[in-house]
Amino acid sequence: MSERDEELELQALQRQLDDAFETTRPRTGFEDELWVRMQARRPLWGRIRDAFAGFTQGVREAPAVPAAAVAAVLVVVIGASVISLGGLGFGTAGEKSAMTGDLSPQAGGPAGAFGPVPPPVFSQDRSVQFVPGTQTSQGAAATPYTGSATMTWAGQFNLTITSAPVFRYQEPTSNAADNFASSLGATLQGRPDGFLGSYATSDYTLRVRGTVQVPPVAPAYFILSEPNMPAISASGASPGDIAALFLAEHNLLPQWPYTVSVEGTGYQLKVKFFRQFAAPGYGLAYLVDTKGMPYGLEVDLNGTQAALASGPLPVSLESADYRIITFDQAVRAALASPQPAIGSTPLPSVQLTKAELVYALVAAGDHSFYEPAFLFSGTFQVNGVSYEKRVVVPAVATA
Amino acid sequence: MLADRPPFEDLYRDFLGRVYAYVRSQVSTAADAEDITAQAFMNAYQAYGRFEARHSTPAAWLFRIARNATLDHFRAHGRRERLRRAVEQEPMAEADPATAAEERIQYRALMAHVAQLSERQRDAISLRHSGLSFEEVGTLLACSEDAAKMLYHRSLKALKESVQRAGE
Repeated sequence: MSERDEELELQALQRQLDDAFETTRPRTGFEDELWVRMQARRPLWGRIRDAFAGFTQGVREAPAVPAAAVAAVLVVVIGASVISLGGLGFGTAGEKSAMTGDLSPQAGGPAGAFGPVPPPVFSQDRSVQFVPGTQTSQGAAATPYTGSATMTWAGQFNLTITSAPVFRYQEPTSNAADNFASSLGATLQGRPDGFLGSYATSDYTLRVRGTVQVPPVAPAYFILSEPNMPAISASGASPGDIAALFLAEHNLLPQWPYTVSVEGTGYQLKVKFFRQFAAPGYGLAYLVDTKGMPYGLEVDLNGTQAALASGPLPVSLESADYRIITFDQAVRAALASPQPAIGSTPLPSVQLTKAELVYALVAAGDHSFYEPAFLFSGTFQVNGVSYEKRVVVPAVATA
Repeated sequence: MLADRPPFEDLYRDFLGRVYAYVRSQVSTAADAEDITAQAFMNAYQAYGRFEARHSTPAAWLFRIARNATLDHFRAHGRRERLRRAVEQEPMAEADPATAAEERIQYRALMAHVAQLSERQRDAISLRHSGLSFEEVGTLLACSEDAAKMLYHRSLKALKESVQRAGE
């Protein structure tokens, strides 16, 4: 091999390493969670000082969430393509730069009571990714794979509805956050950057945050237990029961339909309450994130003590029926999702065999929406390891 | 606040992803990477009052803390899994898929080869591709900038040979 050839190979390897390190990032939400944990561990005098005087020591109270979110989405955009069926232009500049509006079978404006609604945007990485497998709404145990693939549809799905509700909420104000905190018995401590308010009770700290625009994250609360948080006494109770009891004791038990999943082993467990929306004529549809993974409310347990709870801030939802695309259209859109790949790794062939209706959050400023979408999934194997591929397609028809 | 010291929030926002990627390249599960990254930033947060920009760049300072936190993790948990990975040349196992972060098969395959490098070579590759300059890599590995460059290029060649051998 000539020196030049070897140099070219080394450069290619460097690019692969660059790509690998640039696209390896923690899961969505980790950045905010860690920052909140760090803030909660600050000495009391520091928190009091900041509540009255603001930061002056070079440490700001909280990250500017939208900016952090933009950073996160930039990571997704590196090597990512985005499926969008809307093309109405409501996305951020970062989103629009990666949109593939030509995929839309219905470009134009929808006719629902809310008027045209911005489309949800779902990410599809150009290489191979893994996301939590036990979170699947369909009970699949395969390791999730969100990278490129050659896909075919080989399942059956009988869609009997032609419309589905879109849900809308108004962006909560600091007053709404105060009222929520007050209902829990928490008193206002301050309004750190990035949060609507910070509150405290005798045994926990509460933070309330508004909608994160990119990637879309609903208004949320975070409860960080103090060491004196009493343990839940319920002998023989399952982790899910303990988490539900904790939520019930604090008036936080979800008022929306959900299923429960417990993750982790031993002393430290995470109990997840996956949120669902009711679609008349269809049933319950999971709320999914930009990668098609269900989510909702989470409670971290240390034994029988809740260490951290985070979930969507209760907001008033309006609903309006919107016509949805046909299943055939959804299949075509799913199979046409962008598939450019990074590197020379051959694309896996995936048969999508399952489909379901799901809901996705669309952050849109003063008002945001939960909109229906189609989630397709199928499994395949690489080196004896089973993976699950997911593709999400917006469902609201726009013409 | 010293004029040459940026707010910690800026460091946190700028470096969290990079530090996580560095740590993730050293350990076999996303859960461990999260724990170590969290510990590193907790330590950095507490020590930030003592950070002096004239003595070190924020990146070098943060990555030193992250590297120490990673070494602490190995001291506490042993290197058995890492050695096993190196010997068996298998992709890094996700013990708990529920806590797995977004990752890529290509990355995992590459890192299986990186795991076979010596610790110093592995650090040179990981730190460099986490965005550090050769000067910063040298500072962390206690060598000159030129020595860091040589170490990196030797590591890269060793990695290429490892990848090629696997493909034969």
